[in-house]
Parts: sequence; C-alpha cells; structure tokens
Amino acid sequence: MIRNMNDDIPSFDDPAREREWLAQENAMRRERLHLDPHSDDARAQRYRMLARALRQPPEEGLPPDFARQVAARAGSVPRTSYGTRFEFGLIIVLSLALLIGSVVVSVQYGSGWLRPMIAPSLSATPSLHLLLALAGCVGFTWLLGRWQQAAGRR
Amino acid sequence: MDDPHSSPDRELVDAVLADRPGAFERLVREYQGLCWHIIQRMVRHPEDARDLCQETFLRVHQCLHQYRYESALKSWIGRVAYTIALRHLQHKRIPLLESTGDDFDESLVETIGDGFDLETACADEETVRHLHAAIERLPPLQRTLLTLYYLEEMPIPEIARITGLAGGTIKSHLFRTRLRLRGALETRTGVAA
Repeated sequence: MIRNMNDDIPSFDDPAREREWLAQENAMRRERLHLDPHSDDARAQRYRMLARALRQPPEEGLPPDFARQVAARAGSVPRTSYGTRFEFGLIIVLSLALLIGSVVVSVQYGSGWLRPMIAPSLSATPSLHLLLALAGCVGFTWLLGRWQQAAGRR
Repeated sequence: MDDPHSSPDRELVDAVLADRPGAFERLVREYQGLCWHIIQRMVRHPEDARDLCQETFLRVHQCLHQYRYESALKSWIGRVAYTIALRHLQHKRIPLLESTGDDFDESLVETIGDGFDLETACADEETVRHLHAAIERLPPLQRTLLTLYYLEEMPIPEIARITGLAGGTIKSHLFRTRLRLRGALETRTGVAA
C-alpha cells in the first residue's frame, strides 16, 4: 500500500507541517477509496476535491495507433546504442594511435635497446614455461571477452 | 511493488531483445500512458509531447539491453521519459521550478476552514475550472510530481527513481503544492476559519 511504501520518507521537523501532510495524505486515500465525504471537515474536503481533479487524465492523448507506428519505426533502426558506437570508435582511434606511436618510437630510439633484446631470443629457444604462460594469458583474455559479451546480452 | 527479477518485466524485455514479433509494440502499449503523463505534464505542448514520447520509446528500444532489473521496468522507462522531457525544457530555456521560492500561504497549515461541501463544489463548473487553471499554472516539476502521485498512484520512492530527486524533496514539493492549491481553492470558495 502507498502509505507503507512512503514510511521511509523522513517526517517534517515542524509537527504542524507533519500533521498537515498527514491530513493531505488521508484525504487522498479517502478519495481514492471513494469513502463518504460527509464526515470529513472542510480542509479534508478541499484536499479531496484537489485529489479528484488531479486523478483526471489529460484531455489530449496519444493517437490510437501510436504503439504500432513506434514499433514499425523502431524495427527499421538497428539496435546499437549511440554510446556503444562511440566507445567502439574511440577504442579503434586509440589503438591506432598507440600502434603508430610504438612504431615511431621503435624506429627513432629502438637501435639502442631493440637489438640486445632480440639477440638472445634468436639464439635460444623460448622455454616451455614462458610459452605456457603466454598461452594462458591469451586464453584468459579470450574467455573474459566471451563472458563480457554474454553478460551484455543478458 | 513489482519484483523486477521475476515479474512479467523480464519476460517482456527478453521478448523485445529477441525481436519477437509484436513484443515491442506490446511494451509501448503497456507504458505509453505513463510516458504521456510525464511528458505532457512537463512540456504541455501536445505536438512536442507526442514527438518526445516517440523519441522516448526509440531510446528505450536502443538501450533496453542496458536495463539491469535494478528497478521496475516502469520506473526505468519513466526515467527515460523524464530525462528526455527535462532536456527539452532546458533546450527551450523553460525553468523546471519557479525561482520565487516558497509561494504558498503558511498560515493555512493546520487551519480547517469552513463553508465547503465537496459535492456542491465539484458540481460548480466555475470552481472546477478555477482549480484546473491553478494546476496548469504550476511549474513543470510540481505538475509532474502531482501527476505521478495522484494519477499514476506511484509511491514517493518510485517517483524518486524516475526524477532522481530525494524522497524528502519530493515530499516537500507535494506538501507545498497541495497547500498552495488548497489556498487557491479557498480564495474561490471561502476564507479559512
């Protein structure tokens, strides 16, 4: 019931205001239940008249075929949110910037550190542990992506 | 209140996301009244309100996969409608609230008044018109809060989810607006005792 659901709302500090609020609520409830107004005082009857006016729907409404029209229009638009599209575009742009930046830095400054890094790996076979760790990382990232996709669909 | 995890909400959302025939039309039909009440009360321009209602449901269609069942679907869709109407008002530079502050007669608090009969007053067309005009003159936010509370019969916590306002703020708006409208009614039908 509405009264119970509003119980968590804090009371007014001023007791007179709180009593007036309760009178407003009581009148609304009595009007909703169509209780006999003759036992109500003038204040309650005025609040009940207010409730009666406020419970009237607006004279103008939506056209009768509104739902059908909107559904037809929605059906012609693919369901991809603008936000998702923006995020996807941003990821592409940032990835490209990172790739280009890496290439430029490697070409510019790579001679000092790139060769010593590559040289030992060319001469020695990578250990099995490192390969397993790499495979584990790739697998975990792939699984995480699948899980996020499934969560988004739910 | 509906439990969003087990209610028909989930069934309807799943059907729409699976593109089942007629599912989205059913969703629109279910919630178009709520959206119309929110947007029409905020905007008050019938043609703009119709366009904004359509925009609301297109947005719902686009973003439904982001609905996480943290609130009832009704509140989530109401929130989309409210946000779209709010943005429209901001674009048109229409204030959501009056800047004059407390515009109600505090002396009315706890006065009973006299000389009022509900049925007679409701039968008096001039009084009814006067009251409706006073409601129409309210700022958009107060009009919308009253509509959600009376016409949609939503409890304050659900209105809070739609508007993003605190429950105490909504209570304060409802209290002051009702007192103000009662004051408007008293000037028409008789003076408070």
